[in-house]
Amino acid sequence: MKTGISTIVTIMILFLAGSSLLAQKFEQPVLISSAGQSADVKLVKMLAQRQGLNATTVLMAKPDDLTGFKTLVIVPGFSSKGLGAAGISQQDEIERVQSLIKAANNLKIPIVLMHIGGNARRQGQSDSFNQLVADNSKYMLVVKQGDEDGFFSSIASTKNIPLTLVEKIAETAEPLGNLFK
Amino acid sequence: MIRNHLSTIIITIITATMGVIAAISFGKMHQPEELFPSEGLTGKVMLSDYFEGIKGTNGDTEVYLFDSGVEGGTALVCGGAHPNEAASFLSTVVILENLKVTCGRVFIIPRLNNSAFTCSDPMEGFPASYEIPTKIGIRKFRLGSRVTNPLDQWPDPLVFSQYPSNQQLSGFETRNINRSYPGRPDGNLTERIAYAIIQLIDKEKVNIAFDIHESSPEVPIVNVIVYHENYEEIAMGAILGLEMAGLQFSPETSPMNFHGLSHREWGDYTNAIPFLMETSNPSMGRLRGKTDVDLVLRGYCDNYKKAKETGALRIAYREDTGEPIAHRVGRHIAGVVELINSYNLYYPDMQIVIENLPDYDMIMEKGVGEFLNN
Ligand SMILES: [Zn+2]
Repeated sequence: MKTGISTIVTIMILFLAGSSLLAQKFEQPVLISSAGQSADVKLVKMLAQRQGLNATTVLMAKPDDLTGFKTLVIVPGFSSKGLGAAGISQQDEIERVQSLIKAANNLKIPIVLMHIGGNARRQGQSDSFNQLVADNSKYMLVVKQGDEDGFFSSIASTKNIPLTLVEKIAETAEPLGNLFK
Repeated sequence: MIRNHLSTIIITIITATMGVIAAISFGKMHQPEELFPSEGLTGKVMLSDYFEGIKGTNGDTEVYLFDSGVEGGTALVCGGAHPNEAASFLSTVVILENLKVTCGRVFIIPRLNNSAFTCSDPMEGFPASYEIPTKIGIRKFRLGSRVTNPLDQWPDPLVFSQYPSNQQLSGFETRNINRSYPGRPDGNLTERIAYAIIQLIDKEKVNIAFDIHESSPEVPIVNVIVYHENYEEIAMGAILGLEMAGLQFSPETSPMNFHGLSHREWGDYTNAIPFLMETSNPSMGRLRGKTDVDLVLRGYCDNYKKAKETGALRIAYREDTGEPIAHRVGRHIAGVVELINSYNLYYPDMQIVIENLPDYDMIMEKGVGEFLNN
């Protein structure tokens, strides 16, 4: 009986470990979108190109845009100029991102958070976007300056989400590329 | 009776004296500070040479030319669109007094809105000038207004209707050059200055143009490079380059529907690639304390430290060091250099090669004054 229980427990542990590994597998093609309309997403687009990823960038992606994609990369960060250019309010943007995340979760498309804007894209209006995307991500790639207060680290540890911290924006390129290898 | 007259006379004399002192002080604001261009200078013209309609006005301003004699591209560097932004003017002065061009040409306009240098903003308590110690003495610079002097353009309408977009803005913005592009030849003075700048960009076939600014630590658009959407890659390349040098700039796209700004209209109405940069200047902010020369130059203000600690707003303020003028000028010059580097990668046939500008670390170590020529 004892061995039976321990076998079941072992199997369960293996299963859980296996599923968490599965959850961290990312495949192409990749949809890149923004949360908060900061132009940081344009940098991520450039870095993804340099890594030769099969990626498409849609700044204001909606649930329908997910069709055919296997990974969703979201770059959170608030920009009043960006929202102004898009002609939408912060609330509109929050609702768009919520619906996109919900759709991705339903379709089992894993979400990768990429925060590259440092403290310029933290606090104030940015953090509502940072929180929303981080809570729903399967992997986080963050430039250290944006995590000086441990914002992303603490979400990563409480939710058990793998997090990679790098010093500089250019250093995000390699770990981004490696996700798909 | 005599006593009554006596007090009237005394009050009159005191008032007259105060008036004379104020008039002398205001008059001094019309005296432009002398600039000392580097040996690389090859020409100096007036902006009115590109559009007669500002000749003889306080809106006319010097245009400095550095022509390498080697065929290449043309850059335009503008400071002083908003003369209350000290690092905007001072960055162009440092460039003017050190620049060497070995390929292509560089135009520099240090006092883009010259009229706005002749007054200061009412109710703000700004000092009228500030001094920078140099290797051999002290240079004094005016701290002007955000907008054209009302003596040169008055009255403001209640609502400003931007030409030609018809975008409605507060009447005060009628005198803001960075809401007046592309301007018009028969418009108000500010629109005519804007028009003259567009003529210069066209006539000189400017390839890349810079508009240097500063803003309050609490506004969202600070420590940024604002770029026109057609030239995204150049901006992103520069941002990565600047970050490798330890300087963080956030990219901001120029909104298509916000009119009159250089990063929008220079890009839409000319062939130039426009970039606007902003540094954080606590002396301009709403949360600032005593507004004196020290705040303008040292950029240290405890109120911003407290504001940042609340976390309610994103505040672009470094609590340990403040935002000193060397840091702000150093960022702007690094931004110009790195954007030109990035431009050169995309336009190898229209290269612009500039040399001899101090880098950020040098300016931080030695101070701005070390790089002024007199
Ligand atoms: Zn400005």
